[in-house]
Amino acid sequence: MSDQTQVSGHSLRAIGPHLLLPLAIVAVVAFFALLQPAMLSGDNIANIMKQSSLFFFVACAQLVVIITRGFDLSVGANVSLVSVASSMVMTAMIPVFGTGLGIVLGVGIGLLIGVGIGAMNGLLVAYGRINPFIVTLATMSIFTGVATTISGGFPIFNLPEAFSFAFNQMIILMLPIPLIIAGVVAYGLHFSLTKTVHGRVLYVLGDSNEVALVAGRRVKEHLFLAYVTSGVLASVAGLLMTAQTGSGEPNLGTSLVLNSIAAAVIGGASLRGGSGGILAPIYGALLIVCLSIGMNLQQINGSLQPVVIGAILIFGAALDALRTRER
Amino acid sequence: MTSTTTKPGAAIAPGTSDAALIEIAHLDKSYGAFKALEDMQFELRAGEVHVLFGENGAGKSTLIQIICGVQPFDSGSYRLFGETLSSLTPALAHAKGVSVVFQEFSLIPDMTVEENLFLGHEITSGGRLAKSAMHKKVQAVLDRLGFHLDSSARVSTLRRAHQQMVEIAKALLWDCQVLILDEPTASLTDHEAAQLFDIIEQLRSEGLGIVYVSHRMPEISRLADRVTVLRDGKFIATVNKADTSEKELVQLMTGRTFDEFFPHIQRNPGDTVLAFRDVTLQSGLAENISFSVRRGEVLGFAGLAGCGKSEVLRAAFGLEAVETGAITTGGTKLDNNSPRKALNNRICYLPSDRATEGLAMHQSLIANSTIAALDDPVFSLGNMLLNRRAETSFTEKMIDKLKIRTPGLHAKADQLSGGNKQKLMIARGLSREFDVFLFDEPTVGVDIQAKLEIYDVIKTLTEEGKAVVIASSELAEVMHMSHRVIVMREGEIVGELDGDAVTENALLSHFFDHGDQDTDQPQGHPTS
Repeated sequence: MSDQTQVSGHSLRAIGPHLLLPLAIVAVVAFFALLQPAMLSGDNIANIMKQSSLFFFVACAQLVVIITRGFDLSVGANVSLVSVASSMVMTAMIPVFGTGLGIVLGVGIGLLIGVGIGAMNGLLVAYGRINPFIVTLATMSIFTGVATTISGGFPIFNLPEAFSFAFNQMIILMLPIPLIIAGVVAYGLHFSLTKTVHGRVLYVLGDSNEVALVAGRRVKEHLFLAYVTSGVLASVAGLLMTAQTGSGEPNLGTSLVLNSIAAAVIGGASLRGGSGGILAPIYGALLIVCLSIGMNLQQINGSLQPVVIGAILIFGAALDALRTRER
Repeated sequence: MTSTTTKPGAAIAPGTSDAALIEIAHLDKSYGAFKALEDMQFELRAGEVHVLFGENGAGKSTLIQIICGVQPFDSGSYRLFGETLSSLTPALAHAKGVSVVFQEFSLIPDMTVEENLFLGHEITSGGRLAKSAMHKKVQAVLDRLGFHLDSSARVSTLRRAHQQMVEIAKALLWDCQVLILDEPTASLTDHEAAQLFDIIEQLRSEGLGIVYVSHRMPEISRLADRVTVLRDGKFIATVNKADTSEKELVQLMTGRTFDEFFPHIQRNPGDTVLAFRDVTLQSGLAENISFSVRRGEVLGFAGLAGCGKSEVLRAAFGLEAVETGAITTGGTKLDNNSPRKALNNRICYLPSDRATEGLAMHQSLIANSTIAALDDPVFSLGNMLLNRRAETSFTEKMIDKLKIRTPGLHAKADQLSGGNKQKLMIARGLSREFDVFLFDEPTVGVDIQAKLEIYDVIKTLTEEGKAVVIASSELAEVMHMSHRVIVMREGEIVGELDGDAVTENALLSHFFDHGDQDTDQPQGHPTS
């Protein structure tokens, strides 16, 4: 009799991410397409692809730490700070070094900030043994404040056209560049999670820290690295989103924290750690972006959208709880 | 004081002449296709302690659940106080005088002792709680049992042993003729258990019939009048304790003789591979520990729960911090020991707590079997890229070799039974080259078949020239598996026995203090 419950739990989990979500995404698109045929227009599909790609990086950033039974609430602050700091570097450096090198420096600074924020989170969580919720809540506050302070609270304009072109508008083989980068990152992350020692240890330590320790793993180093990865992925999102808006925005990442957790969780990552693969941020990002674009097309009040995201997060967490109970 | 009814029916168990409180004959109980009990017989007389003895899953729990009305039965007869019952509810059983203390306590932590005792049976007068009447009754019961408990204390503030006393008081608060105790000493210290035994003996002398579920041999020797042995849901035998021996009981329980049960392990002592010199732990749980283990031998650590034997193994693996003294392996001194360091020095530890330290329960068999060996070039390229083909073939080999029963390679560790989980942990021990194997309670919560298979692995390892250390609370296990046994008590080594000197009596006499060194062990009688 216990066999049966296990089998059903297993199949439910197997169906969960593999079929349920694609169906849900199709259903959302179909629903809005019925209301607004424009939902299925070529331009809109391209837009969905682009927006999902941008959002995908933050969802990935969240996934990596959720696997370790952690959180990263600082992804939004990371995006905001990267946006203003890289924009400021670009606008300051281009007159001196020229467009090409200026953009490289701006992007480099953005990525470095990602490493820095990730390293700070990682140090405090892995070596300081402070609860990741508290750590990243604090760094969220700190770096949001830094972003607002250095920019004076105003957007930074006059970014070079070439930056937006290279990281947003360029199309290679009919694919927008953000989608190509997302594809590369998706492959890299999938590879790292499933085919490397680091990825394996992340799942095991997310399941049980003690087990990883008793198995002789360098638990702290792996945990630290997970937060650095998360920081870098969020900074990539920051750079790509800046290229999309064409300006450095001090509040670019504000709505991303909740959305990214919702995407990872609804996509199938468990808040209890130790589970969730690359499909979680892919499906999660697509679902949330389709919903959000659909609601925009339908001209649903913008302030109603957080309500929907909140409901999705609860639904995702409830599904997770259900799966956990069954296993 | 007991309502003794003479039974007109046929006798079931051998030689019954007294009044039987409970008579069960030809009783069957199935859960779906699974036969939990088949042709069960059981008889309880007034004034006896009747032990139900059997492995996990033998049907002991099902039987007591039927006796107290929690579970119905399919067919057969159940006579309680001479009355044939066809259906019974827990409330009815309680009203008739059957009380049960289950392993899981039924107390509400935030209520006081007194409130808990009367829960659901409050004495009222005119619709109001009659507090003074209840208080008097509680005091009477506590006095009768000799419990020094504050009846106004919150249950959550009591120690586990005292909570158990409350459970027993609760069972005896109402007129009770049959008391059922399900593994009552599972969470008690030795001293607390001794206290419980005194109470049980007192209740027996008052004429209660006591059903006592246990598989601990010393308790059975001390308390039992009769023992009913169950195996795989079947009645095996009811024997008088006076006419039997531990060997016979284990033989009845397992269906094998002692000699067949434990393998004979060749002893070929080689180099010393692990040595402790005057090791004292920071936690203070083990002090002045010195011993050494050689290749090709099994060293056992025996002693009661909490004696420090497990901590000694954990220290060798870097899970307990060392205050003074030295642990060496081969020629290397293990300073600042950690699991990683111990593993790299070819020491393998198999924790007793599989759920928190042993296995990542929601990861696959593959992930669990190779996790300790990922820096080995066999399983990873430069400690970076997994060699998944090697992992898969290793895991398949282990499933085959250790007879791990699993729904599949990618099943989660959680989906395995206790014995198969333990075997999965042993697989990890075979994933790289080790010299020393530390088994902490190697067969806890493991069914009998798996137990034999695990013993076989230990035999093979030892005969291949590994050093094996076993810490076990199961006396028979440590006695029959080890070439040499170190006995610990209260954090210190109190004796070491070698070869033929390893006997039950010799071990037990070391387990308990006879008052010549320590002070507070007044009730430690090793055997009856």
